[in-house]
Amino acid sequence: MIPKANAIWVILLSFLVAYLLAIVPFPEWAMHYRPQWVMLVLIYWVMALPYRVGIGSAWMAGIFTDILEGSMLGIHALTFTILAYITLSLHQRVRLFSSGQQSGIILALVGLVMTATYWIKVITGETAQEGMFFLLGALSSAFVWPWLFLLLRQLRRSFDVH
Amino acid sequence: MSLEYRLVAFLALAMSLLYMDSRYDYLDRVRYSVAYLTTPVYWLADIPTRMSFWIDDVFVSQRDLLEENTQLRQQLLFAQRELQLLAGLASENSRLRELQEASQAVQGRVMTAEIINVSNDPGSRRVLINRGAQNGVIEGQAMLDAHGLMGQVEEVLPLTSWVLLITDSRHGTPVQVNRNGERTIARGSRGDAPELELEFVPDTADISVGDLLVSSGLGQRFPKDYPVAEVTSIIHDPGQPFAQIRARPLAQMDRTRHVMLVIPDDEAIVGPAMIFDATTDVVEDVPVTNLPEDFSPAAAESQPESQPASQIDAEPAPASNPVAGSAAQDTAGGIQ
Repeated sequence: MIPKANAIWVILLSFLVAYLLAIVPFPEWAMHYRPQWVMLVLIYWVMALPYRVGIGSAWMAGIFTDILEGSMLGIHALTFTILAYITLSLHQRVRLFSSGQQSGIILALVGLVMTATYWIKVITGETAQEGMFFLLGALSSAFVWPWLFLLLRQLRRSFDVH
Repeated sequence: MSLEYRLVAFLALAMSLLYMDSRYDYLDRVRYSVAYLTTPVYWLADIPTRMSFWIDDVFVSQRDLLEENTQLRQQLLFAQRELQLLAGLASENSRLRELQEASQAVQGRVMTAEIINVSNDPGSRRVLINRGAQNGVIEGQAMLDAHGLMGQVEEVLPLTSWVLLITDSRHGTPVQVNRNGERTIARGSRGDAPELELEFVPDTADISVGDLLVSSGLGQRFPKDYPVAEVTSIIHDPGQPFAQIRARPLAQMDRTRHVMLVIPDDEAIVGPAMIFDATTDVVEDVPVTNLPEDFSPAAAESQPESQPASQIDAEPAPASNPVAGSAAQDTAGGIQ
């Protein structure tokens, strides 16, 4: 039985903070190291509440990212949809992993999605082709995942979001 | 299982959006209206910076203020003296131009703005400023800081605008060497460093390290004669058909917060025909009385300040696509 949805504001607030962290200005040299906060929060909620946060929510989150960044509409919607699908099909296994293994999965997932985003941006002429340095963002995402996971789990439990 | 169906449905939706946004411009209006939603997020993200500025303002000793004040007074004095000289030069220049029957559109006024965010995509160099359509920003407007040309407005939203910097690798700035008038295109570098590369300059061209590059006004996007960059390195590789020249932008791309947008003059807005009209009464239209940039918060409203000896031959640029814009500049600069 699917429990009644509640406390949607916790989810929305976590996304808002993720968006803020995603656009807070960084110095030029640190740009590549910025973790993909929105993707991480999305992965967490898809894993924790797969019956509530799914492909549709991921699409919405992607569209909002597109609008926020001023990039072409649909780029992040497309890649976040893929991200949510993969997470949905993996979530039962990943939940049982240790935090190190989870970080490995995050590295692969975020790296894949960032690469896809980068390809689409290059094809549509949004960004210039310049090496694979952007994948450092996947590395830092994997690095912050264990702490973010603990934080969000604490948040979810204390507000009893289900 | 309906999961795959939903996946396909949303993928199709995203792809059709992508297609529509790249081919047509219906979605620009959607983006324009949704920007009311995203502006608060940027406002929130800007709070730490504003806080630090506020703290700097509040916790400053009177002695420091007095010291700064005397320093600024001195600078103002120097600047005004130079402006007086410039006023003479400007009127002399315009008289000479009149003699030659060359056109001289009157120089632009400026609107001050603040950079409130930087694009988080490392592959593109764009900034967000706190002026939008409601302040009268138009697409293609040139942005300057106190030291040189910074970029052009790429996308106008209701309260904010995205500005493409001249160091973006998709952006080409038509420039000329100040020393001898050699024309070329300065493209944003593809590497990590925020630099400019001069494209298709023959090995024999007379450009040397330290040369000042100013905007040439070709391409009709940027006002003429604004400082753009300084040549930092020249490599003559016998295996390459062209010299590899790099230049450092003079504008403080990643340090400054206060910028200016050049407002094209009414005469220039009328249309491109006016650009070649030599009958404008230019001598009386060069009132140089004040400093061009006034960064005090009270002047944050668009303030019609006059600026010395910079001629606007740029019309407000109807072409919307920045890629098309730089392509147009390419062709303009190609006439060498």
